[in-house]
Amino acid sequence: MVTNTNQPHGRTVLQAHQISKSFGSKLNSTEVLKGINLQVREGEFVGIMGPSGAGKTTLLNVLATIDRPTSGTITIDGQETSKMKDAQLSTFRRDKLGFIFQDYNLLDTLTVKENILLPASLGGLSKKAAEEQFNDIAGILGIKEHGHKYPHEISGGQKQRTSAARALVNHPSMVFADEPTGALDSKSASALLGTLEDVNKSRGVTIMMVTHDAVASSYCSRVIFLKDGAMYSELYRGDKARQAFFQDILNMQAVLGGDRVDAR
Amino acid sequence: MTLVDLVIRSMRKNLKHYYLYFFALIFGVTLFFIFSTLQHDSAVVEQTDLSAKMASGFQAATVLLFGILLIFVTYANDLFLKRRSREIGLYQLVGLTKGAVSRLLIIENILLGAGAFIVGIGAGMLVSRLFLLLLMKLVGYEGFVNLSFSGAAFLQTAVVFAVLIVITSFRMFWKIRRSQLIDLFNDDKKDEHPKQPKPILSALLGILGIAMIGIGYWFANSEYMMTAFLFFNMLLVLMLVIVGTYIAFRVTIGWLMTLVRKQQNGHIGLAGALSLAPLMHRMKANAKSLTVITTLSAMTLAMAGFAYSMYYSTEQETRVRVPHDFLIDEVGEGNEGTSAEIAAQFAEDLDSAGIGYTQQPITYLELTGAFSGENLPDLLNWEGNTVELLVFDTRELKAAGLDIEEPETGEATIHNNGISWLLTKEVFPVGASVAVDGRTEKLNVTSIGTQEVASGYAGVYTQLTLNGETFDRIKEAAPAESHRPLVAFNLDDKGDLAEASAIFKNYREEMTLDFYSTYKESLSYNGIMIFITGFLGLAFLVSTGSILYFKQMSEAEQEKRSYTTLRQLGFKTGEIMKGIRRKQAFVFGIPLLMGLVHSVFAIKSVSFLFTSTDITMPVTIAMIAYALVYLAFAILTIGYYRKTIQAAL
Repeated sequence: MVTNTNQPHGRTVLQAHQISKSFGSKLNSTEVLKGINLQVREGEFVGIMGPSGAGKTTLLNVLATIDRPTSGTITIDGQETSKMKDAQLSTFRRDKLGFIFQDYNLLDTLTVKENILLPASLGGLSKKAAEEQFNDIAGILGIKEHGHKYPHEISGGQKQRTSAARALVNHPSMVFADEPTGALDSKSASALLGTLEDVNKSRGVTIMMVTHDAVASSYCSRVIFLKDGAMYSELYRGDKARQAFFQDILNMQAVLGGDRVDAR
Repeated sequence: MTLVDLVIRSMRKNLKHYYLYFFALIFGVTLFFIFSTLQHDSAVVEQTDLSAKMASGFQAATVLLFGILLIFVTYANDLFLKRRSREIGLYQLVGLTKGAVSRLLIIENILLGAGAFIVGIGAGMLVSRLFLLLLMKLVGYEGFVNLSFSGAAFLQTAVVFAVLIVITSFRMFWKIRRSQLIDLFNDDKKDEHPKQPKPILSALLGILGIAMIGIGYWFANSEYMMTAFLFFNMLLVLMLVIVGTYIAFRVTIGWLMTLVRKQQNGHIGLAGALSLAPLMHRMKANAKSLTVITTLSAMTLAMAGFAYSMYYSTEQETRVRVPHDFLIDEVGEGNEGTSAEIAAQFAEDLDSAGIGYTQQPITYLELTGAFSGENLPDLLNWEGNTVELLVFDTRELKAAGLDIEEPETGEATIHNNGISWLLTKEVFPVGASVAVDGRTEKLNVTSIGTQEVASGYAGVYTQLTLNGETFDRIKEAAPAESHRPLVAFNLDDKGDLAEASAIFKNYREEMTLDFYSTYKESLSYNGIMIFITGFLGLAFLVSTGSILYFKQMSEAEQEKRSYTTLRQLGFKTGEIMKGIRRKQAFVFGIPLLMGLVHSVFAIKSVSFLFTSTDITMPVTIAMIAYALVYLAFAILTIGYYRKTIQAAL
């Protein structure tokens, strides 16, 4: 276990204790997560990396309350989500969490603006307040002028920024992103990551991102490496330049899985 | 693995998609078999007098039923083929030839058809007795009818279904032959993307659609309809309404929704995102099938409503044509004697049978005359022509129990059920010149009565009723040979009608003089009518309902990813279902509502045929029954959506 210094000292947003997750029947089960302990503080931008089959996406889903752990406890924003019922979880996700997916998961039948405002629709937000939030977040992400367009009329990068805006519009306690740059070309990818980094810094939004791309994780403030369902190591960026951090990540990957990084 | 193994596996896998289609097929076979059995069974034919009356009606219904089934089966088949295009593509990708894939699908189709056929025939045999009892009850036949298995019916059903299966199999073969692999993989993604409509054009077209329907409605109920071009006018109305409906679906509804959505300015909300947005998205693609469903709904509904109204109003409408229980006139074939003599004998028979009655002699004058008036309808062709007129005395008619108005002196009321719908209020007053013994008597016809005044003349002769004073004056002037004596009988207890009718047949055989016989005849005719239209309507309802259900099923499948996203974003199943219910209300509600409105106007335009009955009640009942079946299908689809959404996360 390699640990760097320079840990941030914010409030704890996410606390995971001894998370394990098995799939399959009792007799023939595969343990995908093997007792993971994790703490994320407010304002962190955490990357999760690891080779194929390490359990990255499973961990994200479990932490993000989309899936349930087989054992262990998860506390987000002071609430123990692992004990909640489905209906409570839904409300919790809507109020406290934001999601960005690899393939955007926008609703094709809705315009950009409608997609972004969707999570706000059940929050009892006034139309004026919602409009302000839209203007605010769409301005930051540079998609305000595309508000009336349908997803098929905009580029992949714009779609993913729409997805990011949808994740951020409710001022969530935490945003979960699963391979957000997986379907983007490198230029759109770096633009999106740059924006996420900005939002993370300027708004203090806590972000957790699964990626297999070392460039993408170099935008994070901390990168966690998983191997075979367990925490292998973590790296803190501290005050390093992105380029230097990128080199650290590459080195770690070489140690972790030879020089082969999975290609999903 | 052989092809047959593959067939069995894929059928097992697709079972949940098939079951409703299978059920609908079974339903079709059953209905067809029952129809066929009823018209082939000799016992039924003999005992219900079917051959004489409605055999052709049954035959036409069978052809229609076949048409409905053909449309339904090919449509459902296309839909299933489309949703399985990825699977078909996969088979080809792993090396199956197009021929093998078509064989696979055709074997499936045949197995499915054969299964439905066997189950359907079995069900048909079980329930055909029930249907027969219903038919007997509807036609008013009281007795026992034995129903045996009909080989001819079985054969007919088998042939028809073989034809259906061959047609669908051929279509499958043809479609697969034509298909490109790449299209097969993209088929389920191919639904069109929403476009920003051109505001002015769609506004114009949107209004045009509604206007066309409105004009069609107005025209059908206006005075311009009843001209010599009636048939042409009917086609025009049909075209206006159908094209209008298409435009309404294709443009108007989408346009109205765009307005609502624009007004929301991005704040669409979850319910809107699940109802308004996907509806707009698919309106264009669905316009054609929705138009067909709506038009056919309206036709079936109008037909069923009309048949039910006929049945429901049989008694009143018979009274209009046959106002007296029994009427004796003087020209009896094989019965010598005047009407008074026959009446005396009939009265004697009634007395000895212990049946209470009143009798009233009625004398009318058989004269000729001509009508003149500014607003006389062209269709009547009365202008300058001489017509035969029967002139009655209101006093005698009233004494015989008729509820009619007494005209002023010198005035007359016209009675002719056959043309009453042409003689609207605006036509009157009309001048009548009646030729009486070389002179001309001028009468002023002021109104039209609601019924015939003597049984047996319905719709044939024009009758005039006068008050006593006028009648006496004309009677005195008219020659004796124009005086026609009648005797009207009315029973005290209408429960005795059947018995009295049997006695009456000894004297006069003309059914039109006998209320009871006429009533029974109409009842059985209308009973068969309502039986046929009712069950055709049912077959039609089930097939259109299923088509909507299938469409919704594939929509649910296509939108599964959206539901997953929504669930992940933290929307509960219950919240999502709220939007889904709203969408289903539109999907089933719009064709139903438009179908209902269309049929209301269609029935309204023929309601003149019901001179004395308010048909609101039967029409409402027919419509409620129709709406309930649609509701059942809507609930089924909502259940399917709920399952899909629950499984989405």
